[in-house]
Amino acid sequence: MAERYNAIVIGGGHNGLTTAAYLAKAGLNTLVLERRSILGGATLTESPVPGYKFSVASYLVSLLRPQVIRELDLAKHGLQMAPSVGTYTAHWDGYLDRRTDHADTIREIRKWSHRDADNYDDFKQTVTDITRFIRPAIDIPAPDPYGDPHEWLAYAGLAKDFGHLPLRTKGALLDLITGSAYDFLSRWFEGEPLVGTMSASGIIGTFLGIKSPGTGMVFLHHYFGEIDGSFREWALPQGGTGAVATAIANAALFHGAKIRTDAPVRQILLKGERAIGVVLESGEEIHADTVVSAADAKHTFLEMLPAGSLPNDFERAVRNFKFRGSSAKVNFALDGLPTFTAAPPGTGHLMGTVSISPSPDYMEKAYDDAKHGHPSHRPFLDMLIPTLTDPSMAPPGKHVATAFVQYAPHKLAPEHGTWDDIKESFGDLVVDTISEFAPDFRNKIVGRQIMTPLDLERTIGLTEGNIFQGEILVQQMAFNRPVSGWARYKTPIKDYWLASSSAHPGGGIMAAPGRLAALEILKSKAGDE
Amino acid sequence: MAAKKQKAAAAEAPRARNSADVIVLGGGHNGLVAAAYLARAGIKTILLEARGELGGMALTADIDGVKAPMLAHTVGRFRPRVARDLGLAGSVRLVEPEVRSFAPHPRDGSSITLYRDPKRSAEELEKRPHGKETAHGFMKLDGRLRRIGAYFEEVLDGVPPSLDGGKSVAEMLAGFAFRKPFTDLKEGDGREILRILPMSAADLVSEYIQHDEHLLALLAWRGAIYNAVGPMSPGTAATMLFDGITGDGADGGAAGQTVVAIGGPGALATALADAARGFGAEIRTSAKAVAITEQDGRVTGVALASGEEIAAPYVLSTLDPKTTLLGLLGVEATGPDLRRRLRATRSNGVTSKLNLLVDKLPTFTAAGKGEAAQEKLRGRIVILESILGIEKAFDASKYGRISETPIIEALIPTLIDPSLASDGRHIVSCVVQYAPAVLKDGEWDEATRKSFADSVVDQLEQVAPGITNLISARQLITPADLQNDWGATGGHAMHVNEGFDQFAQWRPLYGIGRYETAIEGLFLSGAGTHPGGGVTGAPGANAAEALIRTLRRAAD
Repeated sequence: MAERYNAIVIGGGHNGLTTAAYLAKAGLNTLVLERRSILGGATLTESPVPGYKFSVASYLVSLLRPQVIRELDLAKHGLQMAPSVGTYTAHWDGYLDRRTDHADTIREIRKWSHRDADNYDDFKQTVTDITRFIRPAIDIPAPDPYGDPHEWLAYAGLAKDFGHLPLRTKGALLDLITGSAYDFLSRWFEGEPLVGTMSASGIIGTFLGIKSPGTGMVFLHHYFGEIDGSFREWALPQGGTGAVATAIANAALFHGAKIRTDAPVRQILLKGERAIGVVLESGEEIHADTVVSAADAKHTFLEMLPAGSLPNDFERAVRNFKFRGSSAKVNFALDGLPTFTAAPPGTGHLMGTVSISPSPDYMEKAYDDAKHGHPSHRPFLDMLIPTLTDPSMAPPGKHVATAFVQYAPHKLAPEHGTWDDIKESFGDLVVDTISEFAPDFRNKIVGRQIMTPLDLERTIGLTEGNIFQGEILVQQMAFNRPVSGWARYKTPIKDYWLASSSAHPGGGIMAAPGRLAALEILKSKAGDE
Repeated sequence: MAAKKQKAAAAEAPRARNSADVIVLGGGHNGLVAAAYLARAGIKTILLEARGELGGMALTADIDGVKAPMLAHTVGRFRPRVARDLGLAGSVRLVEPEVRSFAPHPRDGSSITLYRDPKRSAEELEKRPHGKETAHGFMKLDGRLRRIGAYFEEVLDGVPPSLDGGKSVAEMLAGFAFRKPFTDLKEGDGREILRILPMSAADLVSEYIQHDEHLLALLAWRGAIYNAVGPMSPGTAATMLFDGITGDGADGGAAGQTVVAIGGPGALATALADAARGFGAEIRTSAKAVAITEQDGRVTGVALASGEEIAAPYVLSTLDPKTTLLGLLGVEATGPDLRRRLRATRSNGVTSKLNLLVDKLPTFTAAGKGEAAQEKLRGRIVILESILGIEKAFDASKYGRISETPIIEALIPTLIDPSLASDGRHIVSCVVQYAPAVLKDGEWDEATRKSFADSVVDQLEQVAPGITNLISARQLITPADLQNDWGATGGHAMHVNEGFDQFAQWRPLYGIGRYETAIEGLFLSGAGTHPGGGVTGAPGANAAEALIRTLRRAAD
C-alpha cells in the first residue's frame, strides 16, 4: 500500500520548502521530495574545497519577502543576515566606492561627474517612488486580463494610485517597463563606472545587453529588494545562502512536514485528468491529494508528466517559454585578500559587492560576444568576499570569494564544443579578468569551483542554466508567467500546482512564488469544503 | 477656458499675413496632411517648411533625367482613410507588385521569394530544405499576424488612450491596448498581443520557423529596418506587427507590405500639397522656424530665421520631437524633467539611402531570366543571411563604426513604374543599414562616403554580377545628411526609434504621446508620435483631428 499525504512538494529549494512550510503550518500532512542528497536547490552552501564554504549558486539575498521571514518565524529557525555594505567598482583609471553613507557616496560619484552627483538624489527619489508603488504587486497573485474581475480587486488601488502619481514617476515607470536599463540611467548619469555597475542590475540572469529594451524591467525586479523594510538593500546570510534554505526547512519540519532527500521523482501519477501522487525513480509510489512542483516549468510540464497529458496550446506555450541561461558562477578559496590596484586604503571596499563593470561599453561588448555564442572575452563580474562578514566560511585567516559571471551563454557557438570542454579555460578567463584589476588575485587562489550553465543545469536542475527558472522578460512576467491564463499557480492538471520561480513574480531568493502558491492551494481547499 | 480666450483674441486680431489660427511646422507628408485636415475644417492654417521644396522625406529626385525616390521608396502604409478624407483618389495611384520580397542569398546562390498571396509563398518555401515544416510555420505566422494586424489597423487612426482614467488595472491594461478593438479580438489573439508586443522579432518568428535561417532573417528584418536595433532587440516584434497590418486597403501579413506611388513618393507629397492649398491652407517654403514663442506656458506663435514672427494661438509641429521641444523651446517652457527624459530618447539613426542609376536592368543570378526574373525584381530585394549576420552589422554601429557588411533592401521603382524612366535606364534604390550619424573615428567625408557606397555596390555585385559596370551615377544620403539637410535630430528617418519602448502613448515619451503637450497650444505630430514613421499620414491626421477637437471645445 502506497504512502499517502495531503500534499507532496517536489523540490527542496527555497520555494519548495516555503510551500511545504505554509501547507504544514495550515495542518496539511506534507512531504518534500528532493532529488539531491542536500537541500536548497540553487540556495545552497557546499564545501567542494575542504574547509571553505561556498554559496554555490545564488549569493545574495535581497528579495526574500518579509512576510515569509515573519510568518515562518525564520529568525527563530536560525536565519541571520548581515547587510551588504556597499559596492566597489574597479576601473582602469581609478575606482568608484559607494558605501552606506550618503554624503560619502555623493563625494565619490562627484569624482567621476559633477552632473551625476547633482542628479543622484533625484534618481534615488524617482526609483524609490516607483518601487513603493509597484512593490505590492509581488505579494499578490497576478490577475489575468481575461480572468474573474475579482482577481483585479487587489490591484484596483494600484491602478487608482497610478492616475495620481506625478507625471515624472509615471513616465519613469513606463520607461523602465519598456526600455533599457542603460537608457533609463542615462537620464541622470554619465560616469562610466556608475552607469556600468548600475546597469548590471538590468541584465542579471537575462540573455540581453544593458542597451536592450526590456532590461529596465530586470533592473526594476532587482530594486524590489527589501530587508527589514528598508529598500534596495542586499544582505548576506550568515553561513551562505544555504542557511536560508536550512532555516526554511527547519520551519517546515517544525510545523510537521516530512522531508526526504535522494528522492528523485520520475513521473506524476495521474488518474483521469487529476494528479494523485508521484512515482520515484526507485519505482516507489507515493500518493497525495495535492502535488506541487517547485521545479521549473520545463521539468514540471514537459518532463514529469506523461506525454500527451497537457492541452496542445498549453504545451506549445511552455515550449515557447524562454530560459536561455547566460551566467556562470566561479567560487574561489583564497589564502589572503586580493589587492586592487586602484582602491581606497583598508579593506572596507571589499566588504560589500566588488563589481567588474567598468563602463557601459564594456558591459555591452560582453553581451555582443554572448549573442554570437561566445563566453564574453571580458565578462561582467559581481564578486563577494563573504568571509569578511562571516569568518566561519573559511579556515582562520583564509577567505572565500564568489563571483557571479556574465555572459556565459548556455548555447555555445559550434567551435567551442561543450561547456565541459571549455570549463577550465573559462575559469582562467575569470581569473584573468579579476587580475587585470587586482594583479595578486591569481597568486592567492588555493582552490576553485566553476559552475558553468551546463553545471547549473545538471547539478541543480535549472533548465539551460537559467538562474531565475525562466528569463525575466517583460513578456514572461505577471499574467504571462509561465503561460498566459495560467499564472496563478494552478495548472491544466487538476491538483497539480506550480510553486517555482517559473511562476509570478519570478526568481531570486524571494520565496514569493512558494508562499503565494501555498496560499492559493489553501484557498482552493477551503473552497472545496 | 484659456483656450477660449485665445480663440477670441485670435478672431479679433487683424487677419494679417503674419497671423494664423494654426501654424504647422514641417512640409513633409505629415505636415501636409495636418494642414489639409485643418484647412478643410475651416481653420486658418499656415504651413512652414524650412527646405526649398515640399515633401520632407517623401521626395522624388532627378538623377540625370531619371526620377528616383530620394529617401522613402515605398508608401506601404499610407492610410486609405486619409486618402478618402482629402479626396486624393484621383490624384494618387498606388501599386502593389505581386512579389513582396526577393532575397538572394549573398553566398550560396539560393533565394527566397515572398508573394502577396501567402499560399504562393508557402508553395515556394516547400521546395526548400525542411520545406514542409517551414511552409506550415509560415502560414501559421502569417495567419496570426493578419488577425492581430486587423486590430492594429484600427488603432492607427486616433489618439492613443490615456492610462490615467481607468478605475481598475483591467481598464488601464485594456486602455493601453486600445480598448474597443481589443475586446473585439478572440481571446487567444488578445493574449498573444499582450505577450508579443515586448518581444523581439527574432523570438517571435523563431516560434514558427525553426529550420530556415535565411527566411527567419528575412521575416525578422521587418522589425529592425530603419531603426537602431537588431532583430534580437526586444520590442522589435511590435514594429513587425505594425508592418503586418491588414484591413482597409492594407495587406501586410508575415511578408510585410510593398506599395509604391506612381510618379515616386514626391507625387504623393504634391497631391497632398495641392489638397491642402485647395482647402485654403497657406504653404511657405524656405521658411525656417527658429523658435516657438510662448508666454506663461501658452503658445503665441513662431519666429522665423528671417526675423519675421507669425502670431498664432496654436502650433502643430511635425518636426522631430527633440527639435520641437529642445530646439525651438527653452527650459522655462518645457521644464527640466521633460528635457532630461527627451534627451535620453533614442533617435540615433543608422540607416542610409543609396540611389544607383544603372544603364539597364541588372541581372540578379538567383532571379533567373526573362519575365519571371522581372516579376521577382519588382519586390523589395533584400540582401541578408542570418539573424546573427544582421546583429553583427548592428553591433558595429553601437560603437560608432560603419558596418562592414551592411544589410541592403533595394527596390527598382523604374521597373514597377516605367513612367519614371523612358530610356531603359533604371534606378536601384537601396536602404542601407547600419551606419551611425556620428562616427567614432573620422568623419562622413568624401573618402568615407565613397568607401561606404563601394561596400554596398560590392555586396550587390555578389548577387547581381556586372552591376558595378552599369552604374552611371550614385546618390548617397547618410544619417549625418538627414541630420544636417533634413533637420532630423540624430539623423533618424523615423525621427525617434521605433519599437515597444517608444510606442503608442509613450511615443516619443509618456506624457506627450497623445499629440497634446503640457505647453498650451502646442501639438506634437510627425513620425516621432503615434503610430510612428513610414509614409502613413496617420500622425498628421490624428494630431490635426485632436487639435480640431480642442478648437471646437474652445469655441463652444
